[in-house]
Amino acid sequence: MFDNHPSRHLPAYLDGKLADGARRLVETHVAACARCRAELEQIRNGMALVQALPVAQAPEYVWTAIESALDRPVADGRSPRFHWRFAAAAAALVILAAVAFWYVDRPQGEQWEVMRLAGSPSIGSERITEMARIRGGQWIETDGLSRARIRIGEIGSVDVEPNTRVTIVAAQPTEHRLALRSGEISAKILAPPRLFFVETPAGTAVDLGCEYTLRCDNSGVGILRVQAGWVAFEFEGRESLVPAGAVCRTRPGIGPGTPYFDDALGRLMEALDAFDFQDGAASALSVVLAESRMRDTLTLWHLLSRVDPGDRLRVYERMAAFSPPPDGISRQQLLALDPASLSRWRQELAWTW
Amino acid sequence: MPKNTGRSLQLVLIASLVLACTQAGLAEEFSLTIGSPVAAGSFRAKNAVFAIRSRGCPVPAKMEVSGAAEGLVDGKRRTVPLAHVAAMPTPGVYTVSREWPPEGVWVVNLTGRCDQAIRGVLVPIGPKGFLRESSKFFPRPAGQDEIDASLRSLAESLRQQTPGSSH
Repeated sequence: MFDNHPSRHLPAYLDGKLADGARRLVETHVAACARCRAELEQIRNGMALVQALPVAQAPEYVWTAIESALDRPVADGRSPRFHWRFAAAAAALVILAAVAFWYVDRPQGEQWEVMRLAGSPSIGSERITEMARIRGGQWIETDGLSRARIRIGEIGSVDVEPNTRVTIVAAQPTEHRLALRSGEISAKILAPPRLFFVETPAGTAVDLGCEYTLRCDNSGVGILRVQAGWVAFEFEGRESLVPAGAVCRTRPGIGPGTPYFDDALGRLMEALDAFDFQDGAASALSVVLAESRMRDTLTLWHLLSRVDPGDRLRVYERMAAFSPPPDGISRQQLLALDPASLSRWRQELAWTW
Repeated sequence: MPKNTGRSLQLVLIASLVLACTQAGLAEEFSLTIGSPVAAGSFRAKNAVFAIRSRGCPVPAKMEVSGAAEGLVDGKRRTVPLAHVAAMPTPGVYTVSREWPPEGVWVVNLTGRCDQAIRGVLVPIGPKGFLRESSKFFPRPAGQDEIDASLRSLAESLRQQTPGSSH
């Protein structure tokens, strides 16, 4: 339906005037496209600005002058009422255009501090000597000897490791968003969930209150390692929830793999790689089930919704042998992938991770 | 009293006693569970060492958790009362953050209270966090002998894990 970007459909989307199918397409595209998200935000802000404009009462002398003018004969035969309306409308348009131009053209969002940790990191073409500031749209690059630290608003920091390119997509109080083109970053965030995001070619890491490292090579293949808290990694509706001590591999076009704890057995990790990114699903699942431990219910929980329906029972039974579902949740609900039931079981399983 | 009436009363009494005992047995007994901080289900737990929750407490939010970190530092015993056992949004779930120094060997001694019921747990702390498998649970607060034994066991275990240590 859309050529590349659904820009001309965004106003209708915000007004709720798109059909269901088109709305879903827009939502899916916007979730994965930083440019359209930024554009959507601008339109939303513009609409809010217009709605927030105050209705001003004209002073009394204005109305008196209007009435006097209406009573005077018109030399060119055109109604004076026409002139006033036209002039008022034109003036309002000019004012609105000026405000909108200022709003769109003003510096976007906050500026974040960047500290040089080692070597000669740069923002665009400018080398960072000790401290600098970076705003939305700008790139930080480090060479093999350089490192930098970005202070992410008031919620934490991100260390940019050597040989890394990362840009600021959004620097707002309610949305702190980076895009990692290649290299590695280490994030330490202390904030409520879903305020900090890192986009990669394979999907988006969503902070849920955590510390993690995220690596991405030039082809977009990546790996996420979580040291504290949780991170959600999302791509086109596929989501992996990665807790502290766990790892998740990512691939462009596929998104997040199935997370596993970093002390999982080697055969399990190899089988997961085959399951997620190669065509060895059938045999790989048998290996994963055979090599799994109590702690690997993290992995099994994700597999429950990723295996073929015919294999789901095998995964369920392996999980239930380690940790039965909580009271009030039936096997049927879990095999039917009822979201609430799955979420409750995950919360219970987390006490064994 | 007629014989039949007396016998009926006895049967009713016995049945009532059996029923009461059964109900008491079916009700879940108060206990403590420990887990990694992610089990607390809150971003506030991000920097905690471990989480603890109650099972079988009729009003989980009323469970009280208190304790101290018990340590061996340079061969000397130290006790650090825990001032910040944090309640999480989920009733009955708490987290313990590090309030003891990095040097030495430490176990966390916690007591959970639910009405009149008390339970204890000793949680050894290793280089990478709490040691679930080595944790010990008690139907009462842990005793001093048990704390000392846990510290000695942990110290020996860590010493054996240190490269170059002799056995």
